[in-house]
Amino acid sequence: MWPRRVEALLVVAILFGCASRGVQAQSTNAERGAQRFMEYCAGCHGADGMGGDKAPALVSPSNSTHLSDSELFRIVHDGTKGGMPPFAQIGDANIRAVVEFLTRLRNNAPPTNASAEAAVPGDVDTGRTLYFGKAQCSACHLMQGKGGFIARNLTSYGRTRSAEEILHAITNPDTPLVPSSQVATVTTRTGQKLTGPLRNEDSFTLALQTEDGRYHLLSRSDVTDIHYSGHSLMPRDYRTRLSPKELNDIVSFLIIASRNPPPDKAEGR
Amino acid sequence: MTSTGTRAAVAITKLQSMPSLFTRRALRTVVTICLLMSMRPGSGYGQTGKPERPPAGKRTTTSDDGNGLIDVQPSDLLKTPVTNNWTSYNGDYSGARHSGLTQITRANVGRLAAQWVFHPRTVSPLEVTPVVVAGVMFVTSANDAYALDAKTGKVLWHHIRAVSQGLVDDPAQHHNRGVAILGTRVYMETDNAHLLCLDARSGHLIWEVAFGTGNKNDGATSAPLIVKDKVVVGISGGDAGVRGFLAAFDAETGEEKWRFWTIPGPGEKGNESWPGDSYLHGGGATWMPGTYDPDLNTLYWGTGNPAPDFDGSVRPGDDLYTSCLLALDPDTGALKWYFQFSPHDLYDYDAVQTPVIVNARFKGQPRKLIVTANRNGFLYILDRTNGKFLFATPFMNTQNWAKAIDENGRPIPAGRTPDEKGVRVCPANGGATNWYSPSYDPSSHLFYFRSFEACAIIQSNIKPFEVGRTYYASGTRSVDEPAKAYINAFDLNTLDFAWRDLQIGRNKGWGGVMSTATGLVAYGDDANNFVILDGQTGKPLWHFHVGQLVHASPMSYAIDGKQYFAIAAGSDLFSFALP
Repeated sequence: MWPRRVEALLVVAILFGCASRGVQAQSTNAERGAQRFMEYCAGCHGADGMGGDKAPALVSPSNSTHLSDSELFRIVHDGTKGGMPPFAQIGDANIRAVVEFLTRLRNNAPPTNASAEAAVPGDVDTGRTLYFGKAQCSACHLMQGKGGFIARNLTSYGRTRSAEEILHAITNPDTPLVPSSQVATVTTRTGQKLTGPLRNEDSFTLALQTEDGRYHLLSRSDVTDIHYSGHSLMPRDYRTRLSPKELNDIVSFLIIASRNPPPDKAEGR
Repeated sequence: MTSTGTRAAVAITKLQSMPSLFTRRALRTVVTICLLMSMRPGSGYGQTGKPERPPAGKRTTTSDDGNGLIDVQPSDLLKTPVTNNWTSYNGDYSGARHSGLTQITRANVGRLAAQWVFHPRTVSPLEVTPVVVAGVMFVTSANDAYALDAKTGKVLWHHIRAVSQGLVDDPAQHHNRGVAILGTRVYMETDNAHLLCLDARSGHLIWEVAFGTGNKNDGATSAPLIVKDKVVVGISGGDAGVRGFLAAFDAETGEEKWRFWTIPGPGEKGNESWPGDSYLHGGGATWMPGTYDPDLNTLYWGTGNPAPDFDGSVRPGDDLYTSCLLALDPDTGALKWYFQFSPHDLYDYDAVQTPVIVNARFKGQPRKLIVTANRNGFLYILDRTNGKFLFATPFMNTQNWAKAIDENGRPIPAGRTPDEKGVRVCPANGGATNWYSPSYDPSSHLFYFRSFEACAIIQSNIKPFEVGRTYYASGTRSVDEPAKAYINAFDLNTLDFAWRDLQIGRNKGWGGVMSTATGLVAYGDDANNFVILDGQTGKPLWHFHVGQLVHASPMSYAIDGKQYFAIAAGSDLFSFALP
């Protein structure tokens, strides 16, 4: 079942490209949750769920990590005595999507039944070779301690995602765009142009990381121009760079690798 | 270089033939990354878990100018005193916690102002000393690690890790004292005694090693110490019956290189104190960072109390190597010498207070010294080349557990053996000083430290070791006497106190001290203030009410020519600078 569904999805993706309507149609619940989170929640809880001036972190060990989905749903729906307003007006479906997204934000989220038990659509070993080779995923992404640093760590990425979701993320990057991954080009007063992900930004300062790992910690007053690319560093042509089989192989590698703990060290002596 | 050059060229060709969906910027990005990946030795596909270093001769700076580039070389860690960067828990290897920065002086310190507050939300009180490299600050709170813009306190990355359940005693409070840094990696210990290696540029986990013994009472609260290519870690849980050790791991791979057990096993020297399998629960924890002398290639590390704490009947003799200073070969873990401050300790007198490396004249002769104020109420000076005792003086007025220190540095006990009824002992089990840091100013030869005057009734009875329980073998009661605390300046030239500043406040402060090249001493007082004193006189020059008790030791750093002080207080981290 899985391979056929994934192939069908691929065909759709290749035929229709990445037109926004197509992307919308393929959005999963979690992606919708991410979008709703950015609209309704991030203003107070921070774009990364790590809290802000008005509201606490949602993904730190001392907070929502131990709440069940139904408890989270109730909090979003009804608000709290502590001052969080109710969000019943956005509808149950949107609240469920937000809750699903919150679950994924948590670092120690258990694998979903789907990814823990389902067969994978491709060849894991070939996927590993592609990940560290031709597909160049490891140039930016860490996997079990190996790989780059500029993009997210994919070690546990496949634990809570279905093959379709992962394929969608590879072939339709930046849906949604994570704010701390957005690439910007900043021109400084001295004429220096800096390009890289904008790790932190507010009305007063910017923190931009260039691809050599260097953090450029700038005051707004030092900046004469800033251009937001609307994209992360993730290439947007994987559906043409790689064959459907190769994409399935990488997806399979991401799922299987995330099921296995990193070799030896994490398991202790 | 030929092969890597070819690989890069191939990558460019393939990318340039791509369809137009691929934007120019994204193309440039990927090409740049490919080139970087290809040019770095040993960083080919699948190998970049290693610290990435530019090719020899192309290294830009030592990351000492606030430029945001984190790449700490072993030689960078040898800088003393520290200036712009504060590269380890105690600043430099000497443990002097003395900053060479000179912008903030007696004349202008009155204008010092708060710059930012960071509130990590996961634990209180914070016990961390931040590490700063190239304008980036690394902080831990419970098992979480953060990189901050050190100018603004804003988060650059956050590595989240849930606290561990089921721990015992101190680690169950999830305190953590910070990171160590080498290359492009930071290292931290977790509450359940795992060593984490994170990429300093992203916070991503590269590897993890469980370094405990499998005893569920194991835990960790300390910051690791980098020595050359190794990460040295210690264990907590001395009051819960762990078997103490120091362990060194390869900083690149996480492979264990050596382990020194502070409680000797069967057949080893000192095992006579540990009948049967009691050595497995003998304490001697190593729960604070040590110091390192690169010239003597010697690692100095203090050990904690024996276990059980208050019942000495089950551990006859001196109880090596508890309440000791150990001098170890950092390459092998071999013991060079040891000095035991409190043989057969009965009062929880850990000896983990920083053993400060001092080069100074002692009675007219230039000497390589260790200076340390011990929890047992005496300040010691040792010859660090051989561990020979040179000097001790009491710094607690009401000390009553020892009649004197003999010519070899061994205390002459006053015979106050805890029993079921209890005996009054001074200092109390919390010590006449504790883990809060001392400081040493090499220009004035003044040694600064916090001391505490309090006594306790210490009781004892026989109790077996149990997994999941503390192993004090009875407990303590406070006495109805007012406690006092002091910030002290001990003059190594006169071997006497230059001044002692009695602390005013209702709380028991846990704030360590630091000093600067301009003669300032910074610390958190007993009334929720962060204070800067004149180091020569002890006169307060400036203070800021942080509103929470300080359970940490301060540090200083500079970015773009601006000097800052940072201090953790309660659940927040504060930074201060001139306007």
